[in-house]
Amino acid sequence: MFAERVLRATGRRRRGMDRAIYALCIVAGALALLPLVLVLAYLLIEGLKGWSLGFLVSPPGGITSKNSGALNAIIGTLEMTGIGLAIAVPIGMAVALYVVEFHEGRAALIVRAAVDLVAGIPSIVIGLFIYSLIVVRMGHYSGIAGSVALALIMLPIIARTSEEMFKIVPRRMREGTMALAMPRWRAIGWVYIPTVAAGIMTGIVLAVSRAVGETAPLLFTSLGSNFVVTDPTRPMSALPLYMFQNALNIGFPAARQRAWAAALTLVAIVLIFNILGRWLGRRTLASGTRT
Amino acid sequence: MTAETAPGRPESPAALVRHRGLSVGDPILKWTVRIFSWLALAAVGVMLIDTAGHSVKLLQHTSAWDFLSGTVWQPASTIYGALPFVYGTVVTSIIALIFAVPLSLGAALLVNEYLPAAVGAPVAYAIELLAAVPSVVYGFWGVVVVVPALRPVQEAIASSPLGAIPVFAGPVAGPSYFVAGVVLTIMILPILTSVARDSIRSTPRIQREGAMALGATHWETIRHVVLPFARGGILAGIILGLSRAIGETIAVLFVIGNQPQINASIFSPGYTLPSVIASEFAEANQPFHPEALIGLGVVLFIMSFVVNLAARAIVERFERRAGGADVR
Repeated sequence: MFAERVLRATGRRRRGMDRAIYALCIVAGALALLPLVLVLAYLLIEGLKGWSLGFLVSPPGGITSKNSGALNAIIGTLEMTGIGLAIAVPIGMAVALYVVEFHEGRAALIVRAAVDLVAGIPSIVIGLFIYSLIVVRMGHYSGIAGSVALALIMLPIIARTSEEMFKIVPRRMREGTMALAMPRWRAIGWVYIPTVAAGIMTGIVLAVSRAVGETAPLLFTSLGSNFVVTDPTRPMSALPLYMFQNALNIGFPAARQRAWAAALTLVAIVLIFNILGRWLGRRTLASGTRT
Repeated sequence: MTAETAPGRPESPAALVRHRGLSVGDPILKWTVRIFSWLALAAVGVMLIDTAGHSVKLLQHTSAWDFLSGTVWQPASTIYGALPFVYGTVVTSIIALIFAVPLSLGAALLVNEYLPAAVGAPVAYAIELLAAVPSVVYGFWGVVVVVPALRPVQEAIASSPLGAIPVFAGPVAGPSYFVAGVVLTIMILPILTSVARDSIRSTPRIQREGAMALGATHWETIRHVVLPFARGGILAGIILGLSRAIGETIAVLFVIGNQPQINASIFSPGYTLPSVIASEFAEANQPFHPEALIGLGVVLFIMSFVVNLAARAIVERFERRAGGADVR
């Protein structure tokens, strides 16, 4: 009798504990989601107030000007991300090929370790590095320096995903190219890369989504500019920089509104790229298991 | 990881079959790949050397020990001490971990263990999207929303009996280590959650079923089977999150109050290594001010390097043991 009562009591306690933990987990999950909801809500409510197509295509005006836009930042972001990609994609894929396809032992490991090292560097320190590497040598801030800083942010992401992708090229395919006595450059360029192209694209898209949002590495490389500049040897603005500079002038209502509008634009771009990247990634995984 | 990919190697049989003369493209591709890779390596090397060279100039002015242990930072009178920033970086990161670890564990358990996949997957996806929001947006949002929202919380704690403890003492200024820690929590939650999820998911089904067959409740199964199994991965995720928190720049800059001082109270304003570099570097014109800031960058680099090494060591140990989750 007694034993049964004890068992029932401990059973109650154990079930109670189980339920309590469940409740705690729900609270944790809700708290974790709360910031996303709040950020998006503020972005939409505040951002849409000052947002218009005009904002994207008008040149910047004075700090209190109501009609000034972010054309300088849009051009800067497009141009610096573009140049950054032109540097990071070939080098990233080369590093991946070097590690996976041309096994050169220690040399490959060192290259890969260097790329991994870069992945772990805080982005502000990347800014300092590029300052030392390029800005000091050129003698002035420039869009080029900003592009290289962004390239350095993107390089490890692209190298890593490409590496993983080359590794999952099915063995049958490799054997097929050998059986056909394909030279390696044909096998890589005409068989392997097309097979895993979507996966490599995933890496590139995620890298872009990361680079587009970075402020810290641009602060003392491309510096920012209040003029619409297309010449990358001059200081350039970018959307995060533009937003940063306006956000610092939070006391001016016009600047504040521009900061929100820039934030909305920025988050929209970043999220679109991010979601696109993940979708591509999932599709690759799915098709990877089918082949 | 590279060495085990042996099965797919096209090396030897291809070499037997292939006529060297027919594949002029091969050496071209090989050298392109080599040169690009070496170029990347050289760039990283030159960068490190250049930056080290810049920061070493500071030693003409301040000894390494004085710089690292100095508690005063007054560029106007060319006094450069790094300690207030190291302190701020450490304190904000610890606050962030204190909040983020239980939250991410709870969220990961909720998504993996309790919710049906059709609900859990979108929730996990939404949490991961938090990682994509740029830090400048968090910073601005932090100023507009988090600072005013947390002011009453900070005041309440500071004026309660807890306020007698120096760590929670007033006066409350608004921006503070605490607010920065909260914003950092939000920013590192996604990485912690997704890594924890991956390792929780890799718990062998048979072990779970064993525990349940013994009559364990769901929580007991988690407590005695799932968590011990996933411990390594969860720890690695925590350290990866720590490395993010240490290096976070812009968001912290907005909400920490930017005062180069060491305060016991987490409700007082401070400064961190990355945020002081970001806000002072472009306008540094005092003698040795840029060099001192680059020196802070070197300190930051070393801190995050050590943390990353620790993360890698744990991941490798964990992967060897479990062959489990991908916790890059």
